[in-house]
Amino acid sequence: MFTFTEEQEMLRKVIREFVEAEVAPKAQEWDEANHCPVELFPMLGEMGIVGTFVPEEYGGAGLGFVERSICLEELARHSAGLAITVMAHQLCMGGILNFGSEEQKKKYLPDLATGKKIGSLSLTEATGGSNFMGQKSTGEYKDWQWVINGRKCFITNSHLADVDLWTVITGQNEKGKPIMTAFIIDKDTPGHTAGRTEHKLGLCSSNTGDVSCVNVKLSPQQMLSQEGDGPKIALSTIQEVGRAGMSAICLGILRGCLEESVKFSNERIIYGKPLNKLMNIQFTIAENKLDYESAKLLTYRAASMKDKGLPCACEFALAKYAGNEGAIRAAKRTIDMMGGYGVINEYPIGRFLRDTLAGSTAGGTSDILKVVIAAETLKG
Amino acid sequence: MTHQGIWVVAEQTVSGISRVSFELLAKARELKEQGRVQAPVTAVLLGENLDDYYSAKLMEAGAETIILVDHPALRYFQNETYAAVLKALAEERQPSIILMGATAAGSDFAPTLGAKLRTGVSAHCVDMRLNEEGHLVAVVPAFGGKVLGDILCTNFRPQIATVRPGILGKVICFMHKQCPVERFDITDILAQDQGRVKALGITYEEMKGVPLEEAELVVAGGFGIESKEIWQQLETLAAVLGGAVGCTRPPLDEGWAKESQMIGTSGKSVRPKIYIGVGISGATHHICGMKDAGLVISINKDEKSPIFDVSDIRITADAAAILPLLIEGLQKNEDDVIC
Amino acid sequence: MALNIAVCIKSVPDPKWYEKITIDTKTKTITRKGIPSIINPVDKNALEAALKLKEQYGGKVTVLCMAPPGAKNELYEAMAMGADEAALLSDLAFAGADTLATSYTLAQGLNKLGKFDLVLTGTESADGATAQVPAQLAEWLNIPHLWNVKEFVLATEQEIHAKVKMDDAVGEYVIQLPALLAVSREINKPRYTTAMGVMKARKKTLTNLSKHDLDVNESLIGQVGSPTWSGDISIPSLARKGQELIGTPEEIVTQLIAKLRAAGIREGRGMVNDASGNLGSGRTDG
Repeated sequence: MFTFTEEQEMLRKVIREFVEAEVAPKAQEWDEANHCPVELFPMLGEMGIVGTFVPEEYGGAGLGFVERSICLEELARHSAGLAITVMAHQLCMGGILNFGSEEQKKKYLPDLATGKKIGSLSLTEATGGSNFMGQKSTGEYKDWQWVINGRKCFITNSHLADVDLWTVITGQNEKGKPIMTAFIIDKDTPGHTAGRTEHKLGLCSSNTGDVSCVNVKLSPQQMLSQEGDGPKIALSTIQEVGRAGMSAICLGILRGCLEESVKFSNERIIYGKPLNKLMNIQFTIAENKLDYESAKLLTYRAASMKDKGLPCACEFALAKYAGNEGAIRAAKRTIDMMGGYGVINEYPIGRFLRDTLAGSTAGGTSDILKVVIAAETLKG
Repeated sequence: MTHQGIWVVAEQTVSGISRVSFELLAKARELKEQGRVQAPVTAVLLGENLDDYYSAKLMEAGAETIILVDHPALRYFQNETYAAVLKALAEERQPSIILMGATAAGSDFAPTLGAKLRTGVSAHCVDMRLNEEGHLVAVVPAFGGKVLGDILCTNFRPQIATVRPGILGKVICFMHKQCPVERFDITDILAQDQGRVKALGITYEEMKGVPLEEAELVVAGGFGIESKEIWQQLETLAAVLGGAVGCTRPPLDEGWAKESQMIGTSGKSVRPKIYIGVGISGATHHICGMKDAGLVISINKDEKSPIFDVSDIRITADAAAILPLLIEGLQKNEDDVIC
Repeated sequence: MALNIAVCIKSVPDPKWYEKITIDTKTKTITRKGIPSIINPVDKNALEAALKLKEQYGGKVTVLCMAPPGAKNELYEAMAMGADEAALLSDLAFAGADTLATSYTLAQGLNKLGKFDLVLTGTESADGATAQVPAQLAEWLNIPHLWNVKEFVLATEQEIHAKVKMDDAVGEYVIQLPALLAVSREINKPRYTTAMGVMKARKKTLTNLSKHDLDVNESLIGQVGSPTWSGDISIPSLARKGQELIGTPEEIVTQLIAKLRAAGIREGRGMVNDASGNLGSGRTDG
């Protein structure tokens, strides 16, 4: 049975205080203006919210994934858009932390962990995210340099990132299979540009768009790990950092739905009585609570397994699936309960529904997650 | 019990005597009647240049004897000096009850006096009475005014209590013509002052219009005032109606209003004839500062605002929609100016 | 110069939950079940002021709290915010204390912990809001104090210059160290507690002090040492039977102006000149 330590409880309390003061009052405004609040990043860095799992020697808080999930849940409770911005930034840090050389870690992590710089991971291409071996971007070694060409799409922080991790195909092995390799690209490297910005259904206070490389020349020091390590880096980062983060973000949205439903049913008077006296409303509350509590247990169990170094790919898939689907259900139920109020933007519940729908692809759609869960389960 | 009589510690202000001093004298006279107290109600005033104006005003407000402590050293409030003087006086004369205004000075030196005399102090009372045994029962708010509790101090004397300005409200004009006025010499007490705190001076805030506590009409704004422009409309409305402007915490934090305009348990208590709350949701601590208003009119776009539960007239609307129309409507007819 | 600073904090029920407070009508006690405790908000301003001084001049910040054992969470939080150590004064014998007994116990705690150049507190607690402990604590410690301080600077090693909020005014004072300052919320914006701070806090020292650890006169602590005691408590009902004005904004305003006119507008003018109105308006005779 999973329980939080006293430190973790206190961490949640202080992060919540911060989020309620600095994030909650502006979340709706950011959403409506499609504004990603990057101006908060230095403060988030100081708080230890962006560099949660980065060791202290590299400027981070030196904590684990349970603590990271707590921070992301609290952020997403009020702004899932900001939370996914942080999460995508952590993908970049996770890649460098787990696969980078000592020089690369020293060069990049301190500024990223303290929120002075923003990171991104550019993996997905027009061919799709989950079929990442089918990607078309290339890296060619010429005149002691790597020359990168290609276009990535649906990249979170595409227009904001100072440090961009790329995966490209650098050749074929003897069996004719593509060799995928990862590189660290600095924002101002000539030929590296952000393209179109996507207008999304939800998570509107996060930035998503295209990034292109046209004859981007990188020194060999910019390669992350070794040639051919791309799939390992991509898979581990997406599954262990990305999916883990998304499970916590979905959980935060789900808690938002639960708390909004409780607040509304307590305050709304109908036929002279609070709404919460009606049994069908109580069913809604109970179902929201069940969805939240089950996703919570799954999320923090997976995170604590990750902290113990246990294999937890299936556990995170379960957690994200439960959180994302649970949040969709809870948001819909709460909107139904609220009637007209549910669809006007003074209430955040509509935003929660849009955010959770928009968040369904990041870290794997429910169908992909089911494939992961089934594969693990069928092993027997 | 040797301790007897009710004292009111009055306070000198830049323009005379603080109104709360008169409110306390009225209350002291009421307590005296109620408890059939023999000893006269005594007003004690500490300050500088205390001429006949002061004793006349105190007498008119109900003092039956007056002790004036007049010295340049008392020009500015200094806790150490003020408390030393009051301690010496109280030990010598042994009053049973000492009432003070919970002003900035009173809130600070009442507890010091209590500690010096090793007795109890009831802070920020909203009401008080004498029980059958003649003990003071002070009604004090807690939890931002949500809860009211009786505080007693039966085994120690004097019983000290402070009351926030405006809470008692009532000031009575007494018709008696004479009362003994004594001047108390503090040379010896000042000689013992260690000079650990020195007052350098005081700067008064510039006051606009009617003082909030004395206004017959108050227009107050809160969180629902979404911009400085709307706040200025609210100020215009108050000006058109001849009232004072009050606020809750958010306009203060925005820098639109001053600390002295805040209404609530940590600000001022008002009891105007008409209170108009605009964009105020009605947290307990604010309601405690305006609950005694005559007619309460509330404008808030959230129909679930708690302020509506304590309002006589409810308007569920956005402040920005109502204020310009209201100002325009009132200006059309000059007769609508009320105070 | 290094400053040895003590900050006294109180653990209070979170003011956001005051609406949920009820009274047990049988026992006449306040029910605050399920309401979380927090550091009294303005005490965080006191702690922030202490941390800023430490950053500027060096020294140590010790946080002190008199409360039941559960308040250790608030003390850890204060250490997470940056305080160096903490002490919890906790003993059944301290229970039921009014401000006089509380301030006496805090004073004995401070005396036990060492010699402090500066003691900082908030102006008042959110729950009781008597604002009396700072002045009384200074009295027991026999040091000078200022209450409602909105700004201060260390002018010399021995002196602080402070601005104090008065009624519609600001007073300026010089106070000698050692001293106590009770600060108001506008003095600063308390820093946020960081994740790193939370993790460091558990490695810092929290000392538990019971009455046996302190040099206390038993007749001055707890209920015995409290001159005041509580009688009846109640939750007053302030409800008014309201009338809703409905319609378009124009229609609402027309109704409202009629209501204002009906609400004794003429009487309002008359009242200003009666005897009671005169008294507060200051001297007019020059």
